[in-house]
Amino acid sequence: MTTLTQHTSTAPGKSIIEKLNVFTALALGVISAVVVWRLSLAFLPEDAEGARLFSREDKITLLSMCGWFVGFMTGIGALVGPMRWVMGKDLAHDENMFLAGENMGPKRYFRYTTDHKVVGIQYLFITILIFFLGGGMAMLIRTNLGTPEGGWLHPQAYNSIVGTHGILMIVGTIIMITGPFGNFIMPIMIGARDMAFPRLNALSFWLIVAAAVPLIWGQFIGGITTGWSAYNPLAGQAPLGMDGYIMYICIFAISTMVAGANITTTVVKMRAKGMTWNRTPIFIYGTVASVALALPAFPVFFLSQILSAFDRALDTSFYNVAGGGSGWLYENLFWIMGHPEVYVILIPAIAALMEMAPVFTRRPLFSFNVAVLGIAGISGLSVLVWAHHMYISGWAPLLNAPFMLTTELISIPTGMMFLVLIGTLWRGRLWMTMPLMSIFALLWNFMIGGITGIYLSDVPADAFLHGSMYVTAHFHYTLMGAGLTGALASLVYWFPKMTGRMFDKTLSWISFWLVQIGFNVAFIGMFMVGLAGQPRRVEAYAPTFNTANLVTTIGAYTIMIGMLVLLHGVISSARNGVKASKNPWQAKTLEWTVDYPIPLENFDVLPVVTTDPYGYGKAKS
Amino acid sequence: MTDLMSPKTPQWWKKSDVKKTFILWIISTAVIGYVGVEFHVRNMVAPASDTMSSVISLMRMFTWAAAPVAGLVAAMCITVLTTKRHYGDNPPEEADHEIRNSPKTAAVWVVVSGLFCLFALVGGLVVLQHDNEAILDKQAIQVNVTGQQWVWNFDYANGARSEDLYLPVNKPVVFHITSVDVKHSFWVVQMGIKMDANPGYTTETAVTPNKIGVFDVRCAELCGLLHAYMQTKVHVVSQADYDAWLSAHAATEAGA
Amino acid sequence: MSVETHAHHEHPDVVGSRNRLGVILLLVADIAFALSMVFVYFYLRGQNVNNMWLPAATSDHPAIEPLSAGPGWTVTAIAAFGLLAHMYGLKGARSQNQTQLKLGSLVALVASVIAIGYQYNTISSAPFTFSDGAYVSCFYMFAIMNMVHLLLTLFISFGNWNRARLGLYVENFWHVDIVRIWWIWMVVSSLLGAFSLSYP
Repeated sequence: MTTLTQHTSTAPGKSIIEKLNVFTALALGVISAVVVWRLSLAFLPEDAEGARLFSREDKITLLSMCGWFVGFMTGIGALVGPMRWVMGKDLAHDENMFLAGENMGPKRYFRYTTDHKVVGIQYLFITILIFFLGGGMAMLIRTNLGTPEGGWLHPQAYNSIVGTHGILMIVGTIIMITGPFGNFIMPIMIGARDMAFPRLNALSFWLIVAAAVPLIWGQFIGGITTGWSAYNPLAGQAPLGMDGYIMYICIFAISTMVAGANITTTVVKMRAKGMTWNRTPIFIYGTVASVALALPAFPVFFLSQILSAFDRALDTSFYNVAGGGSGWLYENLFWIMGHPEVYVILIPAIAALMEMAPVFTRRPLFSFNVAVLGIAGISGLSVLVWAHHMYISGWAPLLNAPFMLTTELISIPTGMMFLVLIGTLWRGRLWMTMPLMSIFALLWNFMIGGITGIYLSDVPADAFLHGSMYVTAHFHYTLMGAGLTGALASLVYWFPKMTGRMFDKTLSWISFWLVQIGFNVAFIGMFMVGLAGQPRRVEAYAPTFNTANLVTTIGAYTIMIGMLVLLHGVISSARNGVKASKNPWQAKTLEWTVDYPIPLENFDVLPVVTTDPYGYGKAKS
Repeated sequence: MTDLMSPKTPQWWKKSDVKKTFILWIISTAVIGYVGVEFHVRNMVAPASDTMSSVISLMRMFTWAAAPVAGLVAAMCITVLTTKRHYGDNPPEEADHEIRNSPKTAAVWVVVSGLFCLFALVGGLVVLQHDNEAILDKQAIQVNVTGQQWVWNFDYANGARSEDLYLPVNKPVVFHITSVDVKHSFWVVQMGIKMDANPGYTTETAVTPNKIGVFDVRCAELCGLLHAYMQTKVHVVSQADYDAWLSAHAATEAGA
Repeated sequence: MSVETHAHHEHPDVVGSRNRLGVILLLVADIAFALSMVFVYFYLRGQNVNNMWLPAATSDHPAIEPLSAGPGWTVTAIAAFGLLAHMYGLKGARSQNQTQLKLGSLVALVASVIAIGYQYNTISSAPFTFSDGAYVSCFYMFAIMNMVHLLLTLFISFGNWNRARLGLYVENFWHVDIVRIWWIWMVVSSLLGAFSLSYP
């Protein structure tokens, strides 16, 4: 919210802005959590007779977590803007420049910095952290499942690790492309100086940091023993750690909504002169479709968790069957968010690879319109398919057939995506790089993920497969095999723009093959045990499933090694990689026209666009 | 793929890469179809009901239907990957001519994927219809299934109650499923049926076991601490054995 | 970098239209939120699990009678009045009548305060405990949503009035226009609650 009014900067206000950073935020968050905790411990009345067990403890936990949240956000400086607006003292130009991190050096990464490039790097950092934690948990799960008779983890610890792995990875994959690349690259790609709402941009990032703490906190007070879907009424009887999950989801949902409004506005309103919708790169479409889809979807999730918190802390009856609540209500709310959410993850990954396909084949993107249509089709249909997660829940057997129809219709726009990628590759001159091979990897993995999805979309087949390891393998093929593959390719592709150095080629290849081979070994094994009848989320299984589980575990360790190689590549290349030229891939989108280091507001003179960015190859004779 | 070609060479099918792709397509369709079907069928449990048999044949059918699509993508990928590769730090020369789109190809693609969709839908609906009819069977045995953390209880019409399920062979059975605490999912693995056990509701599913033997019942929905151990057995026996078991069991119940 | 290129110097109309879109998009999220509450209400009402939508009398508990939806409609009416006052102020801003702007903003602010007082009274005087069945749960859900929306409205209308008072809306007043969008949504969201509660 920049305005025209030119106030002379008020000295005390400005000094507050200068003082706030991540350390004041942490301090204020911890202090306020402790204060709220002590206060609620002292003043909250005892539970009434016959109330739900632990509902006072739940109140205390939730209030303390809210205390943390408010304290942290105040301490980082999120309230400065709104307060100054109310007081009528809008941020002056030099204050905005300070917030953007002008001439601040590395310190700006630890503040409420509004520059989209800083936010992009911050997002990249937190994405890597989330994958590190979530990946570590995956290793614990797979290690435990190496032997049939329940390994060395206590069932509660195991369930909690499964749940935390799930939700961490879901959040990680949601932000892995629209976070780092949507923030760092997207504004430059459309020729803008920053995001439409720079302060909201900082807000969306720091909310994720604020959200992370309750999740970690929850691990120490009983854990998240319900799986990532946190079905009620199971969640209603889960330990206090569930409150951490609830807070985490609520804060993350706010972050997603804020980011969604911000990114969409930026793209709609701030594209460079001449960048008509026909000349807008496909990656932009993917990013916008993803965040815009999240906009109506995540509030539903948000509500489902608030009601869950009510049930736990206030003893209401939204999901509590004894009081007239319904588990099916939760399932509906959850999946109305849950299915668009997988396309929130998938679309930007595919769009990013579509963006790279012309660059590495030196051909124009094949059928740009079909690509846009595919993205739009998937986005539109994805809000109509949620109940295919509930075929066998019995909530509405008559609706199974219509939901089967909408689900299977999604294969049409998905097929369009395949057509665009394969059409671009056809007769291209392949520049053998890791991003290019990632396109092939995506086609391979997404083909398997997609076809197994058709089996699952089919009601009778789903009656056998639902809730088995087959489902787990299927969605790992789509979210990881397709989604993460696109994100890793994006990392290598845009690395020179973000760090000024090339990603080490050898390391990128080693990690690519380790991850892809490990991935396919791991999840083919998981398909096998699913078909043989092993349910999901079990910490022990019948001995007949042992071999395939062991194969999966070995595959998982291979992925881990591959990801560690990649992490090593990120660190070593950012430090001592080969210095990159302005446009090392000779691509034609706008982000490659700016020099490294990219100046604060990206462009001295705003670019004017006259063609689409896919003009490779000699013109038709 | 007509319009992917240069306009100057009308006989697009005579191009070497098209021929190569075509041959690869046939090979890879056969390979993918065969491997895909064998992968699924060999790993799936041996069926103990017609429902499970139809699930297996559905998977076989879908796999063969998907094979040409997957095969085409695979064939094109292989052709591309084996033709013009370029290594180095600088990009290769740009393509000879720019083809930006091809409405015909897109239309063919969409129509084919639409037909595929329709095929999958009809295939599913036919089997689904068959499954639904079973629930309405008046002759069927009625069993009440109750899930609770972390055991299954089965109640029979004559008041017998057990933790192992007993069923006569070749007789339809309808399960009325509910739960007393959290959501469970009642999965008779070898019979290919599954239905959630929801607290506060009763759901139904039906099956006709067609093989004598001992099969698995597992809980397929995370239901807390010992979810992994919430399993039991279903004993499918002859009608005579079933009657004997039922009356013996009912007697014990009444006596106790 | 020349000073002229800073976003700071963009034309207020450009900034205004951008902010407007941003607010509308955020509202899309809030609308989804409110509509899913309506879904919750009617779903639980339709299911009536264990006949506990409105529990019948038991030995230690009288039957739960639904409240009149009147208070919900009253809050909607107060919010509508606030919206009208705000639009009166906006009209003043358009016709360069600063007094009218200040007056309208002030009345809107007062309306939000009254609505909060009224809503608080409705919640605190409700003859329920939280565990009195699904209808009561939904009653609290709508009441708390209204309360949160009204507190936001208070914050926004206070800021709006304060800024009008300081004379910040002389040259351009797109802020006032955007606050109007919020007020409309305030009316509609409380209306959704009142509408649902009219069908107990």
